[in-house]
Amino acid sequence: MATATSSSETAGGTITTVPSRRRRRSVEGKPRLAVAFTVLFFALLYLPIIIVVLFSFNSRKSLSYFESFSTRWYVQFFNDEQLISSLKASLFISTITMLGSLALGVMLAIALERVRSRPARVVGTVSLIPLVTPEIVTGVAALLFFTGLGIKLSLATVILAEITFSISYVAVIVRGRLAALSGEYEEAARDLGCTPFQAVRLVVVPAILPALIASGLLIFALTFDDFVLAFFTTGVDPQPLPVRIYSEIRLSISPAINAVGTCMMLVSAVLLIVAVVVPRLFGSKDSGIDIISQG
Amino acid sequence: MAVVDQAGGGAPAPAPAPEGKPGKRRSASHTRLWGVLLAPPAIWMLVFFVSSIIIVILLSFGHVNDHFKPVFGTSLDNYRTLWNTTYASVFVRSLVYAILTVVFCLLVGYPVAYTIALHGGRHKNLLIAALVIPFFASYLIRMYAWSTLLSDEGLVNQLLQKLGLSEPVKFLNTPGAVIAGLTYGFVIFMILPIYASLERMDLSLIEAGKDLYHGPVRTFLSVTLPSTRAGVLGGLLLVFLPALGDFVSAQLLGGPGTYMIGNLIQQQFFEGQNAPLGSALTVVLMLCLVVFMVFYLRATDRESRET
Repeated sequence: MATATSSSETAGGTITTVPSRRRRRSVEGKPRLAVAFTVLFFALLYLPIIIVVLFSFNSRKSLSYFESFSTRWYVQFFNDEQLISSLKASLFISTITMLGSLALGVMLAIALERVRSRPARVVGTVSLIPLVTPEIVTGVAALLFFTGLGIKLSLATVILAEITFSISYVAVIVRGRLAALSGEYEEAARDLGCTPFQAVRLVVVPAILPALIASGLLIFALTFDDFVLAFFTTGVDPQPLPVRIYSEIRLSISPAINAVGTCMMLVSAVLLIVAVVVPRLFGSKDSGIDIISQG
Repeated sequence: MAVVDQAGGGAPAPAPAPEGKPGKRRSASHTRLWGVLLAPPAIWMLVFFVSSIIIVILLSFGHVNDHFKPVFGTSLDNYRTLWNTTYASVFVRSLVYAILTVVFCLLVGYPVAYTIALHGGRHKNLLIAALVIPFFASYLIRMYAWSTLLSDEGLVNQLLQKLGLSEPVKFLNTPGAVIAGLTYGFVIFMILPIYASLERMDLSLIEAGKDLYHGPVRTFLSVTLPSTRAGVLGGLLLVFLPALGDFVSAQLLGGPGTYMIGNLIQQQFFEGQNAPLGSALTVVLMLCLVVFMVFYLRATDRESRET
């Protein structure tokens, strides 16, 4: 293995043109089948989304025959008081969850990145468990916790459960950023007379700001779309939008759902695109998509 | 190889040593600050996550009293119920579905990750973004869209009838639809780690492999696949975990005949009103996942020891 690597290195060193030409040829070699497969994959990936958006503008009730362009389902959606109160509830839940999990997640990330003690490592491991726990388990656990304590299920219980689930995401994303930031900057700030808290506030927080914004938007989008956890922890009125949609789907299929779905997907897409673009505006080398896909 | 790697990895090692001294000088005030930062999230996780999981485990030994209220207990009755009845077959079905989902995700995800990583060119980041965005569109909405597409009067069947089929093909309420739904829902978790490990891989190795083995298949099996083993293992884990616990796919694309553990758990809490039995189901689900996690950790541990 070692010999293979070293021989390729010497080849690259002595004859520079041959390997680069070779690589290009192999890259463009015969990807036709693979490219076709990938194109098909992307088509199937977007098919249901295109269908939802398309039929949200259908003038007829049919979900399989498109007649003509109409916005009647959007009118129906915006005049449906229950759906609108659900939309407001979901926006509220997502906002509070984003702020709460950012605060707690950043604290966790900074502490875990800088403390090497045994208790900190235990906390670090435990805080990763929600990431690998299926949502249904977290949902059941949260439901039993609240009902066991006699807490009435409401939007507040949804928020508590969502924050618990989201702290880990924020911590992982921000830790990745912190690991890249050397402790020397904090040391320098301390040498210049900062208190430890000032060093964190004035040096660390600005440095991780792109990761903060990206993870905040990510949490907002994830919470806004989250069904399972909300389903287990919500009260009756008002229900978060995904829970409301779920009961609508099970009762009867109305094209108004397509309009709701289109609006929801629009929210998520805009948030995600902002999450990708914002770190670039800060001159960060890795884009938000890297930050997100690492987590 | 190992010696070379250690020598390479050893080079930056002395660097942290000088940092240690000032760190020690200030350790007292630092430790206090970190303690202040660590406490709120640690307490939060302890209260809302750890303790609630413990409640699930404790309640699984309980039962429902005469007023249909769950009470704690010490009996194994719930687990006996799971072992004796049709629940066991649902568990087997869920495991089979989840494993098939993982296999399909690998078969679909690897070529896609490979194509983007090696043939994506300048548009790599754009393609990955295009890949990620749909997965942030509500899972529920996408599953619902598939259920309308695949219904007897849906667009897919209309197309098939135009192509000459007389009878509509029954897609919904079949195991195939549920597994396809799960694959569609979670394939991203396979693609991203494989893509990441392909990106990290030295592509000249593939060149060397082609010179050495003559043939893309042997090169793939003996060079590319082993090099991306970490990504594949990560993908297997990230797909298996949510797939085994899912209930939306079976609810919207399947029916009672294709219900999975998640559907049973959901029924116990919302329709059956038997929280202790639902807790026992949840505990068994967690045990399945722990077993899988242990296999995963041992596999990655072996790999990190080998390299």
